[in-house]
Amino acid sequence: MATIERRSPVAFPVRAVRSTKIGHWTVVQQYTNEGEGPWLIDLSHHPRWDLQDADIRRCKPFPVNVPVDPGTCTLDRGLLVNRMNRTQCSIWHLLGDTPQPPADPVCTETTDATALMALAGGKVFAITEKLTNLDLTDPGPKPPFLLQGPFCHVACQLVIAQRRDLDGTLLLACSRGYGQDMAHAILQAGEEFDLRPAGEDQWRNLLKQIQNERSERF
Amino acid sequence: MKRLAGLPTLRVNSARAVSIEYDGKRFHGVEGDTVATLLYANGTRIFSRSLKYHRPRGLYSLDGQSSNTYVDVDDIPNVCAENTFVGNGMRVEPQNVLGTPEHDWMAFMDKLSWAMPAGFYYTIFHKPARLWPIAVRHIRKTAGLGSLSPDVELRGRFDQIYPAADVCIIGAGPAGMSAALAAAAQKLRVILLESRPWLGGYFDYRTRNHKPGMPLYLRGRQLADQLEQAPNIRIFKHTAVIGCYSNNLITAFQRGSEADCFAERYVQIRAESVVVATGCIERPLLFENNDRPGIMQIGCAHRLARTWGVLAGEQAVFSIGHDLGIEAAIDLHDLGLSIACVADVREDGCDPALPPQLEARNIPFYPGWVAAKAHGRKVLKKVTLTNLSGVCKQQFDCDTLVASAGLTPVTGPLALAGARLEYDAHTGYFLPTGIPQKMHAAGRMLGLEDPTAIELSGRLAGLRAVADCGMAVGATISGVEEELAKLPGPARGSKFVVAPVEGKKTFVCFDEDVTIQNIDQAMRLGFDVTELIKRFTSAGTGPGQGGIAGHNLPLYVALTHRSPDLHPRPTTVRPPLVPTLLATYAGTNHPMSKRTPVHASQVAAGGVMERLQPWQRARRFCADTTARAEIENVRTNVGMLDASTLGKFRIFGPDALKALQRVYVSDMARVSTGRMYYSAMCNEDGCVIDDGVATQIAENDYYFTTSTGRAGETSEWIRYHTRYDRWDFHIINLTDAYGVINLAGPNARKVLEKVVDGAVSNEAFPFLGFREFMVHGAIPVRAMRLGFVGELSFELHVPSSYMQSLWDILEEAGEEFAIWNFGLEAQNTLRLEKGHVILGSESEQRTTLHDIGLGFFWHRDKLEAQTVGAVALKQTENDTSRLKLVGFKMEEPAARAPRDGSPIVAERIRGYVCTARYSYALKEPVGMALVEGYLAKNATRLTIFEDDCKGELMKAKVVPMPFYDPTGKRMRM
Repeated sequence: MATIERRSPVAFPVRAVRSTKIGHWTVVQQYTNEGEGPWLIDLSHHPRWDLQDADIRRCKPFPVNVPVDPGTCTLDRGLLVNRMNRTQCSIWHLLGDTPQPPADPVCTETTDATALMALAGGKVFAITEKLTNLDLTDPGPKPPFLLQGPFCHVACQLVIAQRRDLDGTLLLACSRGYGQDMAHAILQAGEEFDLRPAGEDQWRNLLKQIQNERSERF
Repeated sequence: MKRLAGLPTLRVNSARAVSIEYDGKRFHGVEGDTVATLLYANGTRIFSRSLKYHRPRGLYSLDGQSSNTYVDVDDIPNVCAENTFVGNGMRVEPQNVLGTPEHDWMAFMDKLSWAMPAGFYYTIFHKPARLWPIAVRHIRKTAGLGSLSPDVELRGRFDQIYPAADVCIIGAGPAGMSAALAAAAQKLRVILLESRPWLGGYFDYRTRNHKPGMPLYLRGRQLADQLEQAPNIRIFKHTAVIGCYSNNLITAFQRGSEADCFAERYVQIRAESVVVATGCIERPLLFENNDRPGIMQIGCAHRLARTWGVLAGEQAVFSIGHDLGIEAAIDLHDLGLSIACVADVREDGCDPALPPQLEARNIPFYPGWVAAKAHGRKVLKKVTLTNLSGVCKQQFDCDTLVASAGLTPVTGPLALAGARLEYDAHTGYFLPTGIPQKMHAAGRMLGLEDPTAIELSGRLAGLRAVADCGMAVGATISGVEEELAKLPGPARGSKFVVAPVEGKKTFVCFDEDVTIQNIDQAMRLGFDVTELIKRFTSAGTGPGQGGIAGHNLPLYVALTHRSPDLHPRPTTVRPPLVPTLLATYAGTNHPMSKRTPVHASQVAAGGVMERLQPWQRARRFCADTTARAEIENVRTNVGMLDASTLGKFRIFGPDALKALQRVYVSDMARVSTGRMYYSAMCNEDGCVIDDGVATQIAENDYYFTTSTGRAGETSEWIRYHTRYDRWDFHIINLTDAYGVINLAGPNARKVLEKVVDGAVSNEAFPFLGFREFMVHGAIPVRAMRLGFVGELSFELHVPSSYMQSLWDILEEAGEEFAIWNFGLEAQNTLRLEKGHVILGSESEQRTTLHDIGLGFFWHRDKLEAQTVGAVALKQTENDTSRLKLVGFKMEEPAARAPRDGSPIVAERIRGYVCTARYSYALKEPVGMALVEGYLAKNATRLTIFEDDCKGELMKAKVVPMPFYDPTGKRMRM
């Protein structure tokens, strides 16, 4: 009998050591030989929404604030809100749970519209410069910040969540259909840096680090 | 040949031996050797034969300024031996020789040079005209350098990177390094590009003192060490700049070493400011047989010894026009090279400290003398020197002639960026003027020769680049400017001199075998502009990219020109500045395509996948290219098509309807909940660009679909056409968010009702209805009753992550009916039978809504909205000259269907077949064609031409559409 499952657009060519069920998703917690980083982590199962309104600052589908300027982001209680333009935000829920979807019609669920991946660890930005001409190492904006543009020639949303020289954490969302090729292209570009797929456990650690850094800063 | 050992300037590791195979023999060298230095150290003097005359050619520049040392390495032709490091086991072959470089059977071509004057291929072999096709075959056979086997596989990985920088510095000589340090000191991100494999530029191999106790090479290494330690400076060695574009976009390519994971990689840099410190190259000296192996530039002979530990020969003559030549003669003498004499083309102006040093070494010095002729059949044996008037002559035996007329700046990057180059009589250089903003020149290329001044000019340029980045360094800049003003400025350059010779074999361009006699010939024919002479003679169009010819050609033209305007103008440079492998430009280029949520299962089911726009889609699931079984299964049973690539959008907000009214031709106010509404979009010319369905989800909230091809552009299309209206609406592209299954066929309802939680009878869910269901209580589905394939069909839109599960569930539910996939080929035939158009197949860029019979969509009474394309539709509505879409059948039902795109002819082309297929339902071929209006009437004969028809035109007749189920009963059942 056919089972009901939600499937990620990304499948890594490595064996999962441990997985858990979150709703209808099967989330890999850990892969074999994850190494010491850098890592590529599939976060496509994390709920995401698009928020659009003429007066976007008044919208509060979640108890977090919408960032003031396009290109800026807020990370609060695991919710990353990325201000895309005058009227639009993308909202990514980065914790492991499944929050109640907002009832506000200004929100559209986009979990299945994009593939979401994290590229994290050492030399991350040495990998990304092989794949995009966007300036991810511009010391001007302070993480987290959003860039929108081509990555592997595909239009993407890129959030630099953490950065220290060439090391850091980058969240990348592209059209879901490109997910598999995107993962493959990133892994190929990262071969020389020993980039490996990693699971949700690694992501939780990274998120903790990012949140700690932010609380230290503020 | 014995290597010089223990020199502090050496860049080779004598402790590690390497070897290559050259022309079938093994040659040994040391780590750090280039192919050219290894071969030279092993006694090779003739590396190749020249393009036209097959003259022997040897080592000349060490920087790849000509094709003299181009060889075939591991089956890759035209590899420059001068800057290709030896890899163990490399197989090197000479190229453009018939025989060996020493004994080339084509060498007789040199004797026929009289038959090949400038532009001979434009003027001879053309009369009689029938001669030319024969001549051109032979010219092409003999022209060109290396030859590439079609089977050759380029080994190694070709990569690309796009690093960003605040300041990009081109050239890591003393000026470039100083600029980098100045910019890095302000915490800016600096990128330094150097074409050689190490930093230092012309400091790197020179032992002359920079300051007491500090030789230049040591100073170079001191600066290099500082750079290596600066964390904010990225150094790209062995990286040649190939392009320089507006907004400071710099392109380059980097050669990988054995330790790198790439063979070559393309580097593209966007910088806030750029400093060009590319220094100078040597200007070739023009004299008879100036291309003989054994003749080389000053830097070549000097670096060969100081960097690679190889003396250029045993007995050398120097004919130079710059102090660097005298300095090299002194140094090489001290290293063991016997110097017969030094002739300086300058009568005065050399550094007064240098001649006494020559004298101290018993090296005769001839100011105002120049080489007039090199002797030796294959390699250099002796040289004739003459004074500038040609009255006095003297011959010297030698195996090496170090020849150089002076220096010329490397201005390629600046010229590409838009700077003008103007001849400066003082320096004898083409100096850059009108340099674009945020771009600076520094160092030797400005005529500076004092080492301290060169470094300081680099520092100044670096600081100016810092200022470009918005930092306040004005005071520092002023200070450095003042300091620089106190140092020696641009030095006087040597004049342009041609030895008093006939010029028959005095080469201006080595790559293309162009002599000054050729230039004279061109000018006698009336060519008076350097650019035209360049093209007529091909001087400077070879792989050296004008390196050798770039300076002498315009100067020679100016000197011998009879026009009063004697202002020399350099020829235009174009990217790539340095020859590059196309593989490097291509880079890794990972193919990026979109996969539908059921891609893997489509492949597993035997789907023949193909790329359709960005998507991978299944064309068919059987070996039969007509997909007959899939078609018949849909007509008689039930099939499933993965239609996930359709564009899907949500549009909402108080003015959402206005936006829809603007872009759709129909009255979108008729869109209601629970119903699908079919309409089309046109562009401003009334040409149809898209079709799809829309429904209302809630108040001011709509869901609509577009064709696959328009999915990427629709949001912007709507925003663009409402940009002045200040309407409050929002649009979101959900194309990837939803997968789509088209469940079609007479048994489709029986399958669907097994899995959904709502009624799907014809009454409960009629044709063009829209319903939302849950499948097995968990999968939300948006279902639409549509009929694209002409049967009972349900288009099921499901969140992409659930799509595979829904597909599996439907497959399981349809097992009892033998449900089967169908692909694009089946869909194409099915919809064709039904007369449904696919935009792009039955339309092209000029096709209006009326042309394809969809004019009824156009609602001309929309009050508020100004529909995009409405004006044009009004104008073209009754235009009888336009192509019209018609259905056709073959006159002979047994005939096959014509190929898509075949022209329809009647004296001339009258249209074309859009799509035609054999209809298994009708048991005859059917098709749709766009034809001229007079052919559109029913029963008109269409004559169809196919490529290989040999005059036998196919005959068809126009018939009404749809071909299948004209009343549409089957869609509504």
